[in-house]
Amino acid sequence: MSTTRKRVYGYLAEFKSASALYKAAEKVRDAGFSKWDCHSPYPIHGLDSAMGLKRSILPWLVFFGGSTGTLTAFSLAYGTQVLLYPTVVQAKPVNIFTVPAFFPVMFELTILFSGFTVLFGLLALMKLPRFNHPLFASKQFHRATDDAFFIAIEARDPKFSPEATKALLENIGGTNIELVEEED
Amino acid sequence: MASHIVTSADIPAQGERLNSPLASKVKLISGATSLLLWLVSMFLLLGPNDTWAANYAYSWVFAVFFFFTLAVGGCFWTLLHNVSNSGWGTSVRRVMENLGSVYPFLFLFAFPLALPPVQKWLYEWMNIHREGLHDGAGLFDGFLGGFYGSTSLKEWLEAHHHGLLANKLWYMNLVAWYVRFAFYFVGLTLVIRGLRKLSVGQDSDPNPGTSRLFRARFHSTYTLIIFAITITFAGFDWLMALDFSWFSTMWGVYLFAGAALNSMAVIIITCALLQRGGNLKRVVTPEHYHIMGKLLFAFTVFWAYIAFSQFFLIWYANVTEETKYFLIRNTGGWNTAMMLLVLFHFVVPFVVLLQAWLKKKPMALTVLAVYTLVMHVFDHYLISIPERSISLMNLMPEKYAHVQTTIPNAFWGDILAFLTVGTGFLFFYLRALGQNNLYPNRDPRLLESANVSN
Repeated sequence: MSTTRKRVYGYLAEFKSASALYKAAEKVRDAGFSKWDCHSPYPIHGLDSAMGLKRSILPWLVFFGGSTGTLTAFSLAYGTQVLLYPTVVQAKPVNIFTVPAFFPVMFELTILFSGFTVLFGLLALMKLPRFNHPLFASKQFHRATDDAFFIAIEARDPKFSPEATKALLENIGGTNIELVEEED
Repeated sequence: MASHIVTSADIPAQGERLNSPLASKVKLISGATSLLLWLVSMFLLLGPNDTWAANYAYSWVFAVFFFFTLAVGGCFWTLLHNVSNSGWGTSVRRVMENLGSVYPFLFLFAFPLALPPVQKWLYEWMNIHREGLHDGAGLFDGFLGGFYGSTSLKEWLEAHHHGLLANKLWYMNLVAWYVRFAFYFVGLTLVIRGLRKLSVGQDSDPNPGTSRLFRARFHSTYTLIIFAITITFAGFDWLMALDFSWFSTMWGVYLFAGAALNSMAVIIITCALLQRGGNLKRVVTPEHYHIMGKLLFAFTVFWAYIAFSQFFLIWYANVTEETKYFLIRNTGGWNTAMMLLVLFHFVVPFVVLLQAWLKKKPMALTVLAVYTLVMHVFDHYLISIPERSISLMNLMPEKYAHVQTTIPNAFWGDILAFLTVGTGFLFFYLRALGQNNLYPNRDPRLLESANVSN
């Protein structure tokens, strides 16, 4: 006899093709759910708009990350080679007009900082790395990386109800509907 | 997208034509204006007044090369579209082809560059060669060296202390120059006319099939080389040779970057205006503007990358012949202009084009494309015009010895030349747009393009 307490994560429903998933996603979006996700073995064009996803704030993070890189490189180069220890190369001026000499470094650091912001910003926004995900409790979910298309609607969603949500998933063509429970 | 999938039922079987009274009116006015201004220009260039001719020759080379880059860029995008087997651009391919098809007509404006009375103001090396010819030297040296004259031109040049010209003789000689001049116009003309004919033939074919697609792809491969040779060496012969002692290995790429960037700007403007006029409604979507906007962005960065590479290497290496170009442009008012160019040709459009929403809005993108074109004018003005005062100081010392960096009032000629070539370009472009369907309505990949998402 098991005494483990379980918590409901949500419903998982399978769809038979990418286009079925696409159409189902539009209906889930129109039903007003907010905490739900699609799982597919490969990217599907236009699925983000079918899900009604807002644009990620990642580009803005990258913009400011990149700008920080530019400014860091400029300050380092200008500070060391113009202000602290003026370095005359090929009789070039040592003032603000030396800046073309710093462009390669400014460019490199812009790319470096942007790259790091993309990587770490993405991981942070996706809340990764993590050790486990409640959906892994489902026996069929591993097929999301192979040949199956899923929609998962979380129980945390304010619109979630045990019966109505299940009925919705059935109506829009979901099969193998499963109530996923995570172990507490 | 996602709201409505375009199917073959949405595409009219006979395609769409440009039936705009406004377009035909503009075409007529620009054609008439160009003809009138062309006659005035020929009078200025070839007429009796040397001062006018000398100043106007530089205005002319500036205007001709500016519109040359746009037409050549149209050829480039057509070739690239075919050779990269791309599906997204089928809806806008005809616009690219029409832009490219203006190219042959630019000969009407470029031919004065091949006339000695114009060349003598622009290309000092030709004057020296002609002087040698007059002294009885040959036309060129090579395996046919000296067949024409009594002494070798190379020896003549060396005897007259033109060591640089003697070294460059294999490339810079009058025979090779005219052969190349003919090649620029024959080569790319055959390419773009052939591709356009192939594309247009499909519009009325009851069994369109895919054979034209494969043929266009095959014939776009080796012809890309013709395109590359044309823009690179036309840039060498017409612009770099304004000062024969100057050279830059980045020159061809630099001109290409501007050409690709600004012909894309013209394509964007054309698509947006055609859609405003009620054409291309079914096949061109915000997704296309997004892609074209991304290309505009990419080439803005590419232009800056190339322009900076050219400047940086020359600036650091400090070789006398190479630095001449930037020395002239870092003197007086040109210096301010060069710094403004960095700011407004790169920094401003870079930051503005970073935003995705803007690239999906046809009118917002059009405003930016017009801005890009204005900056391209600025760029080409700084390429051609600063040479004028330097050269004319040498050619007409009695008149221009006192002039430092610019010649007063000469910019009126620049405006006139720009209007002449510009209205002519507009006329031939609108004519090309009106000749055939506005998009390849029977292309097998039209629906793929119309439903593109990125």
